[in-house]
This record gives sequence, structure tokens and C-alpha cells, in this order.
Amino acid sequence: MSDPAGLATRDLKKVFFPRTINEVVAVNDVSLQVNPGDFITIIGSNGSGKSTLLNAIAGTVPVTAGTVWLEGKNITNLAEHTRARLIGRVFQDPRAGTAPSMSIQENMAMAYLRGRRRGLRPGVPARLKRQMKEQLAELDMGLETRLTAQVNKLSGGQRQAMSLLMATVAEPRLLLLDEHTAALDPKVAATIMDLTGKIVQERKLTTLMVTHNMEIALQWGNRLIMMHAGRIILDATGVQKETLTIPGLIRKFHEVSGETLAVDRMMLE
Amino acid sequence: MESVITSALEQGLLYGFMVLGVFLTFRVLDFPDLTVDGSLPLGAAVTAVIVTSGHSPWLATIAGAAAGLGAGLVTGLLHLLLKSGDRNSTNYGPKLLAGILVMTSLYTVNLRVMGGSNIPLLRQTNVFEQIGGWLSVHMTGWWLILVLAILMLIVKYILDWFLHTEMGLALQATGDNEQMLRSLGVNTNVVRVIGLGLANALVALSGSLVAQYQGFADVGMGIGTIVAGLAGVIIGEVIFGTRSISWVLFSAIGGSIVYRLLISVSLRLGIAPTDLKLFTALLVVVALSVPTVRRKVIRM
Repeated sequence: MSDPAGLATRDLKKVFFPRTINEVVAVNDVSLQVNPGDFITIIGSNGSGKSTLLNAIAGTVPVTAGTVWLEGKNITNLAEHTRARLIGRVFQDPRAGTAPSMSIQENMAMAYLRGRRRGLRPGVPARLKRQMKEQLAELDMGLETRLTAQVNKLSGGQRQAMSLLMATVAEPRLLLLDEHTAALDPKVAATIMDLTGKIVQERKLTTLMVTHNMEIALQWGNRLIMMHAGRIILDATGVQKETLTIPGLIRKFHEVSGETLAVDRMMLE
Repeated sequence: MESVITSALEQGLLYGFMVLGVFLTFRVLDFPDLTVDGSLPLGAAVTAVIVTSGHSPWLATIAGAAAGLGAGLVTGLLHLLLKSGDRNSTNYGPKLLAGILVMTSLYTVNLRVMGGSNIPLLRQTNVFEQIGGWLSVHMTGWWLILVLAILMLIVKYILDWFLHTEMGLALQATGDNEQMLRSLGVNTNVVRVIGLGLANALVALSGSLVAQYQGFADVGMGIGTIVAGLAGVIIGEVIFGTRSISWVLFSAIGGSIVYRLLISVSLRLGIAPTDLKLFTALLVVVALSVPTVRRKVIRM
């Protein structure tokens, strides 16, 4: 391990339905070294393994082989909720990141307690209310004035902004974003993406962001990874990433995979 | 007529603890828990045995509730075993099966605990008589209702407080969005087991009080508890609304009373006691369809 503070995977493999006719090797011997503070965008066509990679790191799917390291600790066999103490996540579905019939303040209060034991103290203490008001105000969506409103009264964009805040308020060591703007309309998606950039930068969060959108993948982060058939086929950092273009990415994909890129799902705009 | 109202209030409050338990599982945890058909008579059985062996009815009541707690914990653990790795929290199969298995087992447990199918408690002192003794009043009619209402308020406020603690919020979120709560680092399996324990403690407390009120514990007294509980929860929601958790707890208690009132009235109107279960089931169906019908009517 070159830097024990970051995230690393060693020969990570995930096979779905092993030894059956439906066997799928979703992630194939992926070894990835992520340095603290890296903001990595991950692209790839459908079934390339990018979401499975994220799920394997988060612990929502057990891996077939290989190891996952976080902060120098082998977390491969830790339960999902145990690693969630260190890992914040935002999902594609805006409904996935919040409890719909609970209030904004209750949702936020639960997020501040990430990784801590939950006891019989008041669920939404006054000091937390002040803190969440400030942080909700930064979203610029007026949520700070609606603390007792049920979350299911909010729009998809508002819910996703809240999910993002909830994933990051307790300062996780790693942030996993799984196409978290894909289900939103373009304008809202852009707002959420700006917000993501701001939060990641301010808190210097180590971040992996899966996206279908090549432009977003190029625009954001300091490192870009392209996956195909469960493997990493491109890993560009620094100047190399900055000089990447969409046609360049498409050419690269063609070169390495020998296949035509499924542009239908990998949106250019 | 007054006797119809007082008996409906008495029973509505006595079974109200059970309705709160069913509310906790069915609505808060999104876990249709059938254990209650067994944990209600379990509370009664444990209380009856302890009282008849000469111990304090208070100890007997607490022990009854504790037994229900145990039954709920068993259902929760069994559910973990049955769902084994299934992460889909809307899969009700394992939840129903866990409840059915424990409910069925409890039938045997209850017979074993009581050493028979019925224990009379008429000559035993009970918690109501003791409270009556302290207040120097005869514990019938409105006095009993007053005491029950105060007990109910205390339990209601404790439950309300608990549901708004850190732990209580986790309990609510487990039923609302389990995946989210796990991603916030909470072991939702543990939370669910605790919730099922608490809910069945309430149900068993209800059974214990009912046994002391009616003067006997009977192995068959739990039949249809889940339907009666659902009737209370749903009637309460339809009539009194669901504006907040604190309010819904009141709604459930109100629903329990209205349900018992409907039962008393229908008995007065000549429905045979043997037809009551069918009547109750129909009542649940009607109450369940009210929101749908309401929406349709508004649209027209």
C-alpha cells in the first residue's frame, strides 16, 4: 500500500451467479489506489462494472475475491453498516437517500450521528438545529425554513441536495456517488453537480463518482477512470486528464476494447 | 346505553396498549407482526400464574410485559434467520412467517405456562383493586376508566418520547427507508429486533391488564388480536388523522375505543358473538378502503 490513508482495492473480483449459465464477471481483478483527496470520476458503458465496484467498496454486495482497504484497514469483510461509519453514499434515486415520511430535521439529525451509537438522547437537539439550519441554507433551496416539513413534500432536486448533505455532514473518509444526478432534469442536475463540487472541495473529501455523462466526467475531479467489462481500461490523472476530450475518450475506448462505444447510454451532453 | 359506552371505553383503553404495539410494528417498522396473537395471551398467562402463586399483581404485570418483550425479540431474531441475507426490506414473506411461527409456538408455551387452558383470577387481588384501595374508591365504571386513561397517557407519552430519541428516530427510519439508515452506519437488524420486542411488550401488557380486568386468563383470548389491532390503528387513522407521530398515537388509542364501541353496539343490535370475528374483518376492509373511496369521490 503506497498510502495507507486512502482507499485501495487489490485484485477485486465480483462474479454474479457463479457456475451458472447466467454467470457474469462484473468486476474483474480491479486493483485501484486512491489517494486521500482524490476526486475520481468513473465512466463506462452499461454493465462495465462501475456501479458494482462502488457497491463492493460500500459493502452492499459481498466480493468474490480480492480485498478492499480503507485508511490502512482491510474492510473487505466488514458489514455494510460498519463501513458506513467511514463511507458516505448518494444514490441515483433521489428517494433512496432520505426517509420520506420523516421531517427534514429528523433526517439531518440522523445523518450527524453517522457511525455513533444511538441512545436515548433527544433525536433533534437544539444545537444540531442551529448547525443544520446553517448548512441547509448553503444549499440555497429554502430548506432551512422548513425543518419540520416531511421530506416527501420536497422535489427530487431538493431531496438529492439533502441526500448529498446527509452523506457528507459527518465528514466521511470516502464519498461514493452512484450516478447521483442521472435521475434529475438537466438544470437540477447541474445545480446538484455544482453543489457536489463545492462540498467535495470544501471538505477535501476523497470521492468516487460514477457517471454516464462524459462531459461531467471530464469537467469534474482530478482523475478519470474508464471501465469496460469489469476492468479499468483508462486511468488518467493530472495533465493527462485535463487534456482529455470526448472524441479522445471515444477513440481510447475503441482502441482498448475493440468495440464501438455504446454512445446511446453514454451521453455526450 | 351508558353501560355500552363505559364498557367500550374500558375495553378500548385496555386493548389500546395492544393497538399501540400493533401500530409500532405495522406502521412504524413496516413489519406486519402476527406474534401478537400469541403475545397477548402470553402476558395474561404469565400474570395469572404469578398472581395465583401469591405474588404482587404489579410484579405479575411487569413480568407479563417482559415475557412479551422476549416473544418479540424471538420473532425479530427468527426473521433475521429467515431472511438470511435478503436485503429487500419490502419482502414481507420472512416477516409474516417469523410472526406465524412464534405465534403458533406461543400457543404451546401459554398452555405450558398456565398448566391448563384457563386460570380464573376472580379471587385474586389485581392492580385495579390496589389502585382503588389507595384512592379509597370502588374501581368500577368511570373510576376504572379514569385510571386506565391516566395509565394510557403515561404509556403514550413514554412511547412518544422514545420515538423522538436518537434510537427512536432510527426505529422510525428502519420502517421508512432501511437502506438509507444502513448507509448512515446503523445496524437496522438490531433496531428492528428491539422494536419488535417493545411492541410485543405493549401487547403482552395489554393481555395482562385484560386478564386482571375480566378475571381470568385463557389460552384462546389472543385469537384475532392482529385484526383487532389493525382495526384500531386504521379506524383511528381514518377518523382522527395522521398529522404527526405524536398525534397518530392518540389516533390509535381513539381508534381502539371506537372499534370497541362498534363491537358493543353491534352486539346490542343483535349480532351473534360468534359472528364477531367476521364482523371485525369486514370492519378492517371497510376502514382500509375509506381513503381510496374518498380520493375517488373527490376526483368525481
